[in-house]
Order: sequence, then structure tokens, then C-alpha cells
Amino acid sequence: MKVKVKFWSYYRDHTGCEKTTAEINEGATISNLVAMLHEQFPKLAGTEKCTLKAVGVEYQDDDYVLNDGDEVSLFPPVQGG
Amino acid sequence: MKRELTLTHEPIAESAPQMSKDMGAVVTFHGVVRGTEEGKEITAIDYEANEEMAQHQFDLIFNAIEERWPVGSIRLVHRLGVVPAKEAALRMEIMAPHRTEAFEACQFLINEMKTKVPIWKRPQ
Repeated sequence: MKVKVKFWSYYRDHTGCEKTTAEINEGATISNLVAMLHEQFPKLAGTEKCTLKAVGVEYQDDDYVLNDGDEVSLFPPVQGG
Repeated sequence: MKRELTLTHEPIAESAPQMSKDMGAVVTFHGVVRGTEEGKEITAIDYEANEEMAQHQFDLIFNAIEERWPVGSIRLVHRLGVVPAKEAALRMEIMAPHRTEAFEACQFLINEMKTKVPIWKRPQ
């Protein structure tokens, strides 16, 4: 199955793109997806501990099981105000 | 509870609060871009938001405020894009019957925003 991934803030600098599509196995979690993306975009490595993850407009944990067509956002800590 | 949320690329315009008869306190907070960031001089901050998610996360925070305090209204404007130093990036206004709940809700809103609302900044 496929999921869309969007990178926000300086994560775009690390990946060189705003979004990508990832092919994942049935039952894959956000953690599995992030590990794949770290191989694809080595500059993201080292951001594991501070990366926030969302599916759609909701935050999700690393063990969230992804569904076909999910739109995942990865981003650094927020800084509004 | 009345709500008004604006994410805007325009300067923040001032407007006088319209009080209802039960509201005795209005707390207004402006977050202003400083001319320095981590000891270095800057001219502006470029704010970026995941706007759809930001709207949703603000809504969740407003819901939490509504459950905890008898707040009559919240008005919040957050600027996006380049905001020059000394200009406001954020304006929030909270009305409540008494000052304690208005101050507490204002502090809660800022603290929650700074951990949950997907807005990022790049000093320039």
C-alpha cells in the first residue's frame, strides 16, 4: 500500500522535497515508515527523538498502524507565537 | 463560547473588545518579534504553518479551555509569512466573568499552542 508523506519546516531542507510517496507493507507502523525514510533521506537521521508525527490533522504515536492513502506529516518541534 | 481564529499573512489590526453583560475581564496578549534571536540580531521572523492541522489543533485547545473555565470568548490571530521585528506575530484576547479565569485560560492557550500547534519560525 501507499502513503503520502509531507515534510515541514527545515525537514524540507534535509530531504530536498516537500513531499513523497512511500510504498509500505500491510500493518506497517509510523515507526516502520520513519525508518524507511531515514534510509531514503539520510540527513533526517538524528531527528528521531524530536520528530513529531501526524496523520491527517491528528498527532499519532510511533506504533500507529498506517492505512492505504494516509497522509503523514513529519516535522520538528513547533514554535508558534 | 464564541470563537474567532485567524491565520493571516497581513499585519494584525487592533480592535476594541465588545463586552457582554456577564463578562468582567478581558485579557489581551501580543507576542512581538524581538530584534534578537539567541544573541544575534535579526530583522524578521518567517512563520510557516501546516494550516489545516493548526486550525484543528487550535480547536482542540479551545475545547479544553471551554471545559475548564467559564470563558465567554476567545479571539486569536497568528500571522504567517515574514513578520518584521517589533511587529506582533500573535494577538489573543480572552473574555471571562473574572480576571483569574481569563489570565489562567490565556496562559494555558499560549503554553498549549507552543507545544501542539504546527507553526514554525525561521529568523531572518
